[in-house]
Amino acid sequence: MNKLNSIIRHAFLTFLAIIWLIPIIWLVCTSLSGYPGINISKFFPDTWTLNNYKLLLWDVDTVSQFPRWFMNTLTIAIFSCMISSSFVLMVSYAMSCMRFNMRKPLMNLMVILNLFPGFLSMIAVYFILKSFNLTNSHIGLILIYSGSSGLGYLVAKGFFDTVPVPLREAAKLEGASEAKVFLKIVLPLSRPIIVYTVISSFLAPWMDFIFAKIILNSGISSDWTVSIGLYSMLEKTLINSYFARFCAGGVLISIPISILFIIMQKFYVEGITGGSVKG
Amino acid sequence: MKNIGRKIAKFFSDIGNAVVKGDIFVKLSLLIMGAGYFGRKQYIKGIITTIFQAAAALFTVIVAIPYISKFSTLGTVEREMVFNIDTMKNEVNNYDHSFKILLFGMIGIIAIVVFVFLYLWNIIKVRELQILSQRGKHINSFREDVRALLNQKFHITLLFFPFLGITLFTIIPLLVMIMVAFTNYDQNHMPPSSLFTWVGFNNFKQLFTSTISVTFGYSFTKILIWTLIWAFFATFTTYIGGILLAMLINDKKTKAKKLWRTLFIIAIAVPQFVTLLLVRNFFADLGIVNTICSKIGLTDFLKTIGLVKDSLTYIPFLSDPNWAKVMIILINMWIGIPYLMLIATGVLMNIPADLKESAKIDGANGIQIFFKITMPYMLFVTGPYLVTSFVANINNFNVIYLLTQDVFVTHNQYLANSNAKETDLLVTWLYRLTQEYYNYKMASVIGIVVFIICATFTLFAFNSMIKGDKEEEFQ
Amino acid sequence: MRKKLLTALLSATLIVASLTGCGNKGNDSADTTEKANQTEAASQTETEAPAELENVKLTVWGSEEDQSMLQTMIEGFKEAYADKAVFDISLGVESESTAKDTVLTDIESAADVFAFADDQLNELVSAGALQPISINTDAVIEACGGAESGSVQAATADGTLYAYPMTADNGYFMFYNKEYFSETDVQSFDKMMEVAANAGKKVTMKMDDGWYLYSFFKGAGLNLGLAEDGVNNVCDWNATDGKYSGVDVTEALLNIAKNPGFVSLADEAFVTGVQDGSIIAGVNGTWNATVAKETWGENYAATKLPTYTLAGDQVQMSSFAGYKLIGVNAYSDNAGYAMLLGEWLTNYDNQVLRFETRGLGPANVEAAASESVQSDPAIAALAQQSQYATVQRVGGNYWSPAETFGAIIVAGNEKGTDLQKLVDNMVEGIVAPIQ
Repeated sequence: MNKLNSIIRHAFLTFLAIIWLIPIIWLVCTSLSGYPGINISKFFPDTWTLNNYKLLLWDVDTVSQFPRWFMNTLTIAIFSCMISSSFVLMVSYAMSCMRFNMRKPLMNLMVILNLFPGFLSMIAVYFILKSFNLTNSHIGLILIYSGSSGLGYLVAKGFFDTVPVPLREAAKLEGASEAKVFLKIVLPLSRPIIVYTVISSFLAPWMDFIFAKIILNSGISSDWTVSIGLYSMLEKTLINSYFARFCAGGVLISIPISILFIIMQKFYVEGITGGSVKG
Repeated sequence: MKNIGRKIAKFFSDIGNAVVKGDIFVKLSLLIMGAGYFGRKQYIKGIITTIFQAAAALFTVIVAIPYISKFSTLGTVEREMVFNIDTMKNEVNNYDHSFKILLFGMIGIIAIVVFVFLYLWNIIKVRELQILSQRGKHINSFREDVRALLNQKFHITLLFFPFLGITLFTIIPLLVMIMVAFTNYDQNHMPPSSLFTWVGFNNFKQLFTSTISVTFGYSFTKILIWTLIWAFFATFTTYIGGILLAMLINDKKTKAKKLWRTLFIIAIAVPQFVTLLLVRNFFADLGIVNTICSKIGLTDFLKTIGLVKDSLTYIPFLSDPNWAKVMIILINMWIGIPYLMLIATGVLMNIPADLKESAKIDGANGIQIFFKITMPYMLFVTGPYLVTSFVANINNFNVIYLLTQDVFVTHNQYLANSNAKETDLLVTWLYRLTQEYYNYKMASVIGIVVFIICATFTLFAFNSMIKGDKEEEFQ
Repeated sequence: MRKKLLTALLSATLIVASLTGCGNKGNDSADTTEKANQTEAASQTETEAPAELENVKLTVWGSEEDQSMLQTMIEGFKEAYADKAVFDISLGVESESTAKDTVLTDIESAADVFAFADDQLNELVSAGALQPISINTDAVIEACGGAESGSVQAATADGTLYAYPMTADNGYFMFYNKEYFSETDVQSFDKMMEVAANAGKKVTMKMDDGWYLYSFFKGAGLNLGLAEDGVNNVCDWNATDGKYSGVDVTEALLNIAKNPGFVSLADEAFVTGVQDGSIIAGVNGTWNATVAKETWGENYAATKLPTYTLAGDQVQMSSFAGYKLIGVNAYSDNAGYAMLLGEWLTNYDNQVLRFETRGLGPANVEAAASESVQSDPAIAALAQQSQYATVQRVGGNYWSPAETFGAIIVAGNEKGTDLQKLVDNMVEGIVAPIQ
């Protein structure tokens, strides 16, 4: 009985895993396909080749400049990740561990701001950046990804809420300043939430193509990020010769991200659920 | 509200007090903001304040005033140009750019309000300094002031840059776009070549009227209903699915937990737009899934039970409104469940073991434990998350847009006449209106309505789900 | 405003016009005049001392596939005008089909010279984004076959030339597999569907798309075009009084849609269908014709659109003629040199080069007349179709209602809506003013 139960359980899990992996497998298969276009009637390609990866990585043409895009996105991701992680942690600490006059009104304000659809303000953001001459620059894009990141403070605040108060009080009694408590006591205890924040903000530039397309509008394709670059391969005139390369690009980005996730899994889980650790 | 009124009253009475009772330095600081600090030998602070005052004045005169003066009309001079063959250049008049006037006028007004506030606040501070010095109390040196910013005033240091960012990249753009809802900014009035101007509540009226040719009101209602249905299902299917999957994986009897978890995580790691575009081709009318379905006879079976119309040779996964809606929710589960699985894994691990043990001793079976202990605990912990993800789903752009753009064609002529589709959410409709039809004014109106819906829901949900503020309890 | 500008140009009282054109801005106009004088003075010194050439910075946008070819052309331009100025020309990627969207998001920072498809012309013009071509205008028009030629029409609005015609092959035509069809078969759509049905194959055309749907209605003599304002549409597709009524066309469409030899397919499905052999003929553009050419090889052939059966008669299908144009940004700081560059990129030599490297059909008459161009089946088919084709001038509100109408037809009007009601609804949407 138990054994049967176990078989059914694992069979069911396998079934689910297959459902979840089919599109991924198709992605990998297509990226290894000898036919460069999109094949909508066959699952497995007729011919197998590594050529798409070779073309993508070493044979740079005007349409496909994957290595450049990868480096651009990496730079943008690193900087915007640094800025937004620090913003999030700073706001969260202030809201969680400090008590001041405007705390509640500010927190309410941020909840409200989160409710507006972000697109709506896209053109306004564009012109603000333009007035600082920051359109068509990676700095502008970094600012867009990280500028309002303080708004996403809720999860980290939930985590900080669980850091025992006596710990901070004791440090303060010993003469530590608030800044010292933040940097030397609370942060080292908050590794999971730091990892969570860092991963989420690091991923944004890899996924977004709407803001990137609006900001990087000079058409200089070597300035693009991976997502605009890949997206541009899907144009009507290009899709028939670049679809397989598009898939190869998709695979290449997901490899590092998967590894990141797998390694950081534990922290990620702890971070996001931090609020409940003490509950 | 009363409280705020009292605070404002106190603020102004303090200023009056300061001006009347202040000494020469306080009165001088009405003119030069730094004077009050110079008087108490806080030279550095005095210099900084004065420089700030000068900068504020310069900004007001040079940047803010020119835009604010045109704010009421949003510009009157249209662009005119003439090509001069001798210089090989265009000669252009000094034209107005309505959007820039709106944007920078707005920024100017906000900046001036802030300046005035700081100016008044400065008087109170200077007066406080005077009182301190009169009573012979310690007056902070500059170094001590800086140190305070790392200690009792550390929140100012922490919040300054994040809030600067939020103001610049969220608050100001939002205010501007709210303003756009009251203008006629559309394809016929597009800056820089044309001007737009204020039209009051006209656009709102248009949204709620459905005349023969303008079917906006009709489309709006239809799309709003689907948006709410979608948000509900998208939130709860992934939520419950995620919990069940996490329980299945984390159960003692499951082997190789980490492997299973990793398999599902891979699905998250591929960028969403890649997977969504793939899945879209997967379920195309002549795509792989359809080929397989017709080979194994599923298509014919669905025809006999009436789920697929007889005239079709394929299953209209993403081309029939009802099929597409169901498919979109299913595909969203595919995307969302792994995330929720991760979150739920963490929460489940933290369920106090003794709770479950005692329930077992009381003779509860697995299902009872799930409904009596696991679910309430999950709901308690992830309540706020549920509310925010409901709101996020109302604004969930990627899934709908990437799955239906260029693929789904509506068969409803009334919807088509206002550029909408059955599967549109308010945000995707909004996006198309701005990107393809440059109808910024209606997009802003829709945006405001989306906001009102989200705000109402959030207030309601927060008040009924999370009574009171639990944060102190945890600490 | 545009008209005012035009008169200003024609009367050639350049500076005076700019003074009167902006009434209350006396101060600024004085400024401009002064500036103009200064630059004039500067250009005079230039002719004396050629060593001090003006620095001209330009950006060009072209499609991904054209990049390296455009680079060659730009180098040629720099060389040819080396005595006039020092050029710093950067080349960017912007697909011709989306150029309008990017340009209109922020005209001021868009490229000085950009390629776009002719259907975007009216929106670009009404947004004031295009510079009226005022250098060598007559020669440009002449090279493309005169003011009446399709390519010049496509680049003209309100009698003003706003862009340089670049290619003339962006329309659609019929291509087919000779293994199945004879040359007489392809004269009639009904015959083609019959042949395909007998062979168990399909003929395809995307019916739920305003671009293709137009050919049936226009073929029947019904009209669709831009209203005076240049943004909204006028349309009489629901007419009941002409030789053929809108309902007649709808019935003809329904008959085609339910024919076993016909299927309405989107681009990707089209390509797959050609490759797996289920599609043996179809109406589409050059971008997909290449796939058919590779697959069918020797059997690949192309021709004009066939006739279709309308109320018992055989009626020739019309089409949208498609051109690609090169426009100059009206907000360019160096509009003059931008125009020269636009002209250069579309001159005879470069149109020949474009055909040789990319197989694109030239808009330049002389280049198009060469033997190698004439022997290209797709270009020949487009030329054959051109007498039935009209320039694409429709406002933004056309597409969505037409698409939906087409989709209802393809599905066989399942709800049984009254056909007059169907066309009425569509026309209501098409002519609805852009709000």
